[in-house]
Amino acid sequence: MKQEKQKSLATKISLWIVLFAGLIFISALGVFFNESRLAVQKEAIDHADQVLDNTVQRVDNIMDEVKVATDNTDWLITRHLNGPDSMFVYSRRILQNNPNLNGCSISFEPHYFESKGMYFSAYSFNDNGNIITTQEGNDHYQYFYMDWYQMPKLLDRPCWTEPFMDVNPDDITSPEMIISYCKPIKDDNGQFIGTISVDLSLSWLSNTIEQVKPYPNSYSIMIGKGGTFYVHPDTTKLFYQTIFTQTLLEPDTAITSLGHSMQAGEEGVREINVHGVDCYVFYKPLTDTGCSVGLVCPVSEVFSGYYRLINTVIGTFIVGLLLMLMVFSSIISKQLEPLEELAYQAEEIASGHFDDELQESGHNDEIGRLNNSFRNMQQSIVRQMEELKQTNEQKGRIEGELKIASDIQMSMLPKIFPPFPERDDIDVFGQLTPAKEVGGDLFDFFIRDEKLFFCIGDVSGKGVPASLYMVVTKALFRNISAHESSPGRIITSLNNVMAQDNDSNMFVTMFVGVLDLPTGRLHYCNAGHDAPLLIGNIGAGFLPVDSNLPVGAMPEWDFKQQETLIDPDTSILLYTDGLTEAENISHDQFGMDRITDLAHRLQKERTFIPTAIIGAMTEAVHVFVGEADQSDDLTMLAIQYTKHHQDITFQRTLTLINDLKRVPRLNTFIDEVCEAVGFDMATTMQINLAIEEAVVNVMNYAYPAGTKGDITIEAKSNGTEVMFVISDTGTPFDPTAKAEVDITLSAEDRSIGGLGIHLIRQIMDHINYERSDGHNVLTLTKQINK
Amino acid sequence: MRKTIIISLFALASLLAQAQEKFIFTPQWTAQAQFAGYYVALEKGFYKDAGLDVDIVHPSVTQTAISRIRNNESQATTLQLAQAMEIIDDGIPLVNILQTSMNNAMVIVSRTGKNPLKQIGEKVGIWNAGFGQIAICMSLNDHLDYRWIPFANSVNLFISGAIDATLAMSYNEYYQLLQTGIELSDESVYRFRNHGYNIQEDGVYMTREYYDGHKEQARKFADASRKGWEWAVENPEETLEIVMEYVQKEHISTNRVLQKLMLDEILELLVDRESKRREYSLRPDMVEQASVLMYENGMIDRQITYDELVAE
Repeated sequence: MKQEKQKSLATKISLWIVLFAGLIFISALGVFFNESRLAVQKEAIDHADQVLDNTVQRVDNIMDEVKVATDNTDWLITRHLNGPDSMFVYSRRILQNNPNLNGCSISFEPHYFESKGMYFSAYSFNDNGNIITTQEGNDHYQYFYMDWYQMPKLLDRPCWTEPFMDVNPDDITSPEMIISYCKPIKDDNGQFIGTISVDLSLSWLSNTIEQVKPYPNSYSIMIGKGGTFYVHPDTTKLFYQTIFTQTLLEPDTAITSLGHSMQAGEEGVREINVHGVDCYVFYKPLTDTGCSVGLVCPVSEVFSGYYRLINTVIGTFIVGLLLMLMVFSSIISKQLEPLEELAYQAEEIASGHFDDELQESGHNDEIGRLNNSFRNMQQSIVRQMEELKQTNEQKGRIEGELKIASDIQMSMLPKIFPPFPERDDIDVFGQLTPAKEVGGDLFDFFIRDEKLFFCIGDVSGKGVPASLYMVVTKALFRNISAHESSPGRIITSLNNVMAQDNDSNMFVTMFVGVLDLPTGRLHYCNAGHDAPLLIGNIGAGFLPVDSNLPVGAMPEWDFKQQETLIDPDTSILLYTDGLTEAENISHDQFGMDRITDLAHRLQKERTFIPTAIIGAMTEAVHVFVGEADQSDDLTMLAIQYTKHHQDITFQRTLTLINDLKRVPRLNTFIDEVCEAVGFDMATTMQINLAIEEAVVNVMNYAYPAGTKGDITIEAKSNGTEVMFVISDTGTPFDPTAKAEVDITLSAEDRSIGGLGIHLIRQIMDHINYERSDGHNVLTLTKQINK
Repeated sequence: MRKTIIISLFALASLLAQAQEKFIFTPQWTAQAQFAGYYVALEKGFYKDAGLDVDIVHPSVTQTAISRIRNNESQATTLQLAQAMEIIDDGIPLVNILQTSMNNAMVIVSRTGKNPLKQIGEKVGIWNAGFGQIAICMSLNDHLDYRWIPFANSVNLFISGAIDATLAMSYNEYYQLLQTGIELSDESVYRFRNHGYNIQEDGVYMTREYYDGHKEQARKFADASRKGWEWAVENPEETLEIVMEYVQKEHISTNRVLQKLMLDEILELLVDRESKRREYSLRPDMVEQASVLMYENGMIDRQITYDELVAE
């Protein structure tokens, strides 16, 4: 396979080289062949021209001989017109003097010589060297109608006849075709009286012309004025056909044109197709006979030497190219051997053997450099892979740790639902669906002193920083709200801590609420978070919130606290922007409108249960988001206030002024109440102690020293518990917000009410403080069945 | 005994003479497609089938067709109508036993750019053997006054420029001239038949004297010859082969192309222009026209009638 690849590359390059060389050679050969052809053609034309010239020259000489002989005689004729018989002598003498001539007639107009009658033609002919003389005119041979007689007469000048067969049946007939030179004979008055005609054997002429044979298959032709073939290798054409005969049935403009040119006495060369063979026809007029001689040479023969040359050159050319192909192919193969080795090694490396040692190339050329580069690359790859391995390990470790961090983070969130199964006044459900990486959402809730403290928050940013910030926020919320019941103060404290040294400029949007469970009064403070939804019997809508600033954004910001009353069965839904900004594939956001629409639907369906609300909301988001990835934590917290006030079966009220002397009155009131609801003595004493402590606290601290103020103690019972509601109009003071008492300190050193509250908590089941309508309202509850 | 033998020999000789009485037919020109029908009739045995022993003997320089008829050397010959009239006028009554030509084939050929009708007084070639009667009449009637140059062969005289125009037969010399490569235009070729001189030409003639004694033979010869012509019309290719055999046998200076063209033209001439049929008979109107023309121009001393010419 590798061998083949390498071969094919070598072959390809060789082929390209040979192709290119071939193109160059072909171009050069094309020019060479063309030039050679032209040279050969010119040579052939010159050659034919030469041959024809020689022939014509020879014929001319003979022709001249005929003319001279005639001219030398005609004056004798005109001088001796009185002696017609002397004409026999003259005609005979011409033949005697010119053995080349075939015959001679001296003929006269009918009845020219009275003594000779109608016909007088003194005719001598050469019968194989024996000259015979006779009078040839008679009734059957009326010579004066013959061409040789009529032409000079009618033309009034000497001329050559067309070749002809002279027929005289009564006389010895010349067996040969002859051509005659004829000259008019005139008397002294210039009157035509006869013709002298000298005959030349055509066989002599045709033999001469036929001998011209410059190429093996070339042949000569001769045509007369009428186009008749007088020399032609095909004897059936001789005398019977003209050059135009065949064109009468099968028009051939080339031949017609050649014939016309030859008839016109022109000379030249033409390429003509003769019976399927391309031929050159070189032609030339035969002096003034009107005949034209042509030399027909097959093109293939004219160019036979040229074609041999072409074949030799092309043969050499092809062999040369093949040799070139083999040599180049071999050289390139040899040169590419290191490349093949490199390719083999590269494949080995590619198949996973990265540590294979690459041989160093001894070559200093491109292939050598490629080899060395490949070595460097291999080493670099091995190094990179090692680093990658380490990086991957680190990444795995970090990912593992992040997972743990995420798990820890999630474990910090409340996860037991329902959280307060023993209570019938509150139902809470919360859910945080984390995005891929750890995030900064948080929620939390707990009950202290009959108050549900809850919060939801979203830390800016994502990842580990956000999660750390979230952990801190949640821890601080727990820490601060352990002793602080006002959401405004809780957030303010939180803000002051978080904003301090906040180098990373992180912040958290947050909503903190404190729901007074006995009364349903909700105190809340918003720090830049989305307003919660309220879904209840009277409707669904957003809780009006001040936006304030996010926690951590600005130290010392005074967060405004708000309050409202929550109707029974109403649910508060808190959520982070993971809900509002959930995106689908088209990057559309879930948005407030969908949330409120769903809230209204739930409200209509009277679905106020936290799990149901969150379940419906979660499903709606999932349907909306579809296949899109979750980009942010989705956190929701729903709180339903389910407190229903049971019928009060017992109620008494006692109002005291802030004077410790009134305490016995209080004790009596308590005893009466406890007795009425059925507490035993011991419990009654304890309750008395707790209520007295609380009331004394109010007497001592609620009003400024020296001012009078009322304290109202209202005792209510529904049969299961007794509530003592202690209210005053004094300085706002929340005894429950005080830290747990440090009982290791002496009583004087403890902060005001510290020990008392501790006592109260020990005795009573619930303690609850509310500031309401300018009143401090402290509610102490004790279960009756206890 | 000897006497008996001599008498017997005489009787036998006379019997043989009777049985083998030859019918010599002489066309008026050398062998060519002009006489194709007769060659066909002989070669295809039509004469033999008719009980005739026909021999075709072409004329020679010493023995023209007319001289052979006059000397009773031939029993029948072809003649042009005008020629026949001249001979009758000379005192040799002739009978037309078959008329092949229904149209005149004579033309005057001039060089391209020339119009024979405008060549007044110019040299025009004419056969020294006759055939030119109608042309002479036309020259006189149309006041062209051509200077007639008798020729044995028109082609060389014409192409050498010795004559300005020449008479030609549309089936013969016309093609010989074309064969020399000359180019002719419509205007330079005058066709007699298109100018009111459509006078029939070739027909088969015999002396009235012979005819009167051999009517049956004459009829048989005419019928067989006619059959030969019809066969030629049907089989032009084979006819051409037969013609070429005669041409070669007689060493005639011609070629297959010329003979083919001649045969095509001759077969065309068989068809009467008006009836569109091959009539094989003289037309009285043409006979009268020829007679009037020749008489008026002094070529004949008396008018020759249709009735005089035709058999019975």
